[in-house]
Amino acid sequence: TNAERNEEKTKKNHPDDMWWPENGEDWSDGEGGTDMDSGLQAMAEEDEEINVHNEETFGMDLDANGTTEKSSSSLQFGEAPPSPPPPPPATPPPPQPKPRSPRRAPSPPRQKLQYFPWASSRQRGRSRGQRAALGRGQMFEDPAVMRIIEGRPSLKVTKMNLCQTRAFMFPPTHPCPSTPQTPKMMQLRFGANSPRPSPFYSPSNPVQPFRYPGPATQLHPQHKRLLSQKQRKPEGWDPYCNLMTAKEKEWITRLQMIQLQSENPYLEDYYYQEYYRRIESKMAEEELGIRSKREPPKLTTPYVKKTDSYTPVVHIEGSLGQVAVSTCYSPRRAISAVHAYQKDTRLQRLDILNKIEKLFMVLLEVEETERMKTPLLSEAEERRLVEKIQRKVEHIYSQLQHHNPLESEGDFIPFLLVSKGKKLVARLLPFLKHDSALKILRVVTTNLPTLMSRDADETLPVLYPPLRNVIGGLAFSQLIGVLKDLTSLESLTTYECLELACQNKFGLSLLYALLSQGEKLLSSGVPLEPSIGDFETWTDIIFQVAGQLSQCSLVEPLLLPSNLLTLFCRYLDKRTVHQLKSNMESVTGCLALPS
Amino acid sequence: HQQLFEKHLVLLRDGRTLIGYLRSIDQFANLVFHQTVERIHVGKKFGDIPRGIFIVRGENVVLLGEIDMDKPCDTVLQQVSIEEILEEQRLQQQAKQETEKVKMQVLKDRGLSIPKADNLDEY
Repeated sequence: TNAERNEEKTKKNHPDDMWWPENGEDWSDGEGGTDMDSGLQAMAEEDEEINVHNEETFGMDLDANGTTEKSSSSLQFGEAPPSPPPPPPATPPPPQPKPRSPRRAPSPPRQKLQYFPWASSRQRGRSRGQRAALGRGQMFEDPAVMRIIEGRPSLKVTKMNLCQTRAFMFPPTHPCPSTPQTPKMMQLRFGANSPRPSPFYSPSNPVQPFRYPGPATQLHPQHKRLLSQKQRKPEGWDPYCNLMTAKEKEWITRLQMIQLQSENPYLEDYYYQEYYRRIESKMAEEELGIRSKREPPKLTTPYVKKTDSYTPVVHIEGSLGQVAVSTCYSPRRAISAVHAYQKDTRLQRLDILNKIEKLFMVLLEVEETERMKTPLLSEAEERRLVEKIQRKVEHIYSQLQHHNPLESEGDFIPFLLVSKGKKLVARLLPFLKHDSALKILRVVTTNLPTLMSRDADETLPVLYPPLRNVIGGLAFSQLIGVLKDLTSLESLTTYECLELACQNKFGLSLLYALLSQGEKLLSSGVPLEPSIGDFETWTDIIFQVAGQLSQCSLVEPLLLPSNLLTLFCRYLDKRTVHQLKSNMESVTGCLALPS
Repeated sequence: HQQLFEKHLVLLRDGRTLIGYLRSIDQFANLVFHQTVERIHVGKKFGDIPRGIFIVRGENVVLLGEIDMDKPCDTVLQQVSIEEILEEQRLQQQAKQETEKVKMQVLKDRGLSIPKADNLDEY
């Protein structure tokens, strides 16, 4: 068993261990550490033996025989304990505390990295027992520990993860495949009262941390920059400034970095990631003018392979509690949940809102998977992720499209009438194939008056950037089709449609975008392959729009494309163009043509 | 490693705010504060009570932050004497207790009872 194996190893490695009980059982308080009373006696006995100032309590011993090549039990993260909290693997107890053995200098020095979980209330009862165990470096069966990284974050860590509530949960039976088993371990020094300096840890001989393969957790590059900017020479010397040595600080920092690891930083550390992402994009915007293409440094987090999790419990919608999976030996009828269809509009709205929430979760997964696609992935991995993304995107799309066969409002519309639905669609659009995206664009343009009038929160503009991208990929015929959608609505003349559009920020911006795309296509010299009547429609619309723009007062568009005036110049006389120009500029306050 | 030259501010689970020089930390986030001052805020007033050396057990820490001495201090807060702030605090607690009592009575009259938040902390 694991415990026995550990015992074996540690026996080999620490032949001069002293006062640790023979079995792990003697440590634990019974089952799972919850039964404190029986353990108290044991703990009291332990305490007599623990010398708090003893280095060994904090596990700073170098082993007398530092010749073990493979990692000791202290790095067996993968083998999570069978029951939490785990009894630490034991080492044979010596008769009495031994005097410190003279250290040999193995070359290279063996090093042991300790991990101490931040104590939480559940560990209260065990903290002392654990502390002693930790001294032996045998606490690593703690499931919270995933991986040890030898990094060099010698920075101030003002980001302290106190009351760490993240659950680094391993399924008890699965060993973590990403555990690095390295032959070298680092020993750290701690404790101001240590009697004798280690020959390996004098300031003149700093121990080189052994670099593990793979990226280490680091603070975001922006964060590092901010911290280093803040560091300056200390003004005056503080008599107490060296209570903590640099090594100790580094040790704590390293510990905290370990805790920052996660396979899903955008999920578990959202605010930190988002904050620095925004700073980054802001800086990138500024730098775009100054420098040409410089990729802002991206945060590297260690890629922790997610162990495949499986849901052992089947849950059927509408059932109470868990449902036993039926096998051939125990067939069980599935609970059929009947959703009565209600014509009640309030329930319908709730249904839509519910659906939006569910689809948003899927969208978040899609975005997360997209972020995980790094160049470090293997081909198979990348393909798998791409498939996963596609599957989910299609799911969201189809759900948005066909909400209810009885519904007369049309595809996507019920969702587009909800603010969050608009946001959902806006964030989904980049993932869609051109045809699907075009469909959504046409739905928007066809139903533009409805959308505009029922946009109380004014969240329509959120759709503008992705739709603009879609428009940017339109062919001429497709563009004409979209323009026709915009202008030939039932019961409204073209004039009226355009009038409506021009008086709405989003509508106007969309119109501008479409015209801009047309101009781009026309002036690009690419063969347009127009259908019959396309050009007529095009020129007709130009004239109508020009008429609109020069007459009524315009709202400020979200973006004023730079090639609009060029477009108008083609078709209209100078005076009209001039009129248009001043009209458009007066609203935006910026030039319609780039200077 | 300038972290121990600047003053730090720590908020404890019992609501106290301590400010001082952070001299040492450990893996449990136990803190050693030097020249600690307990700052009590009541409304726009605050008062500092010098406390000397504080050792805070890590589990009692809510948050910890460094105080940026360079940042311009344009606070509207007004520092008062210890006696005054303690008196203000007492009055504040009293008022709070009274409103709480009234609330509980009203709820009781309607047959409802809401457990007090401090009980929930013990899980």
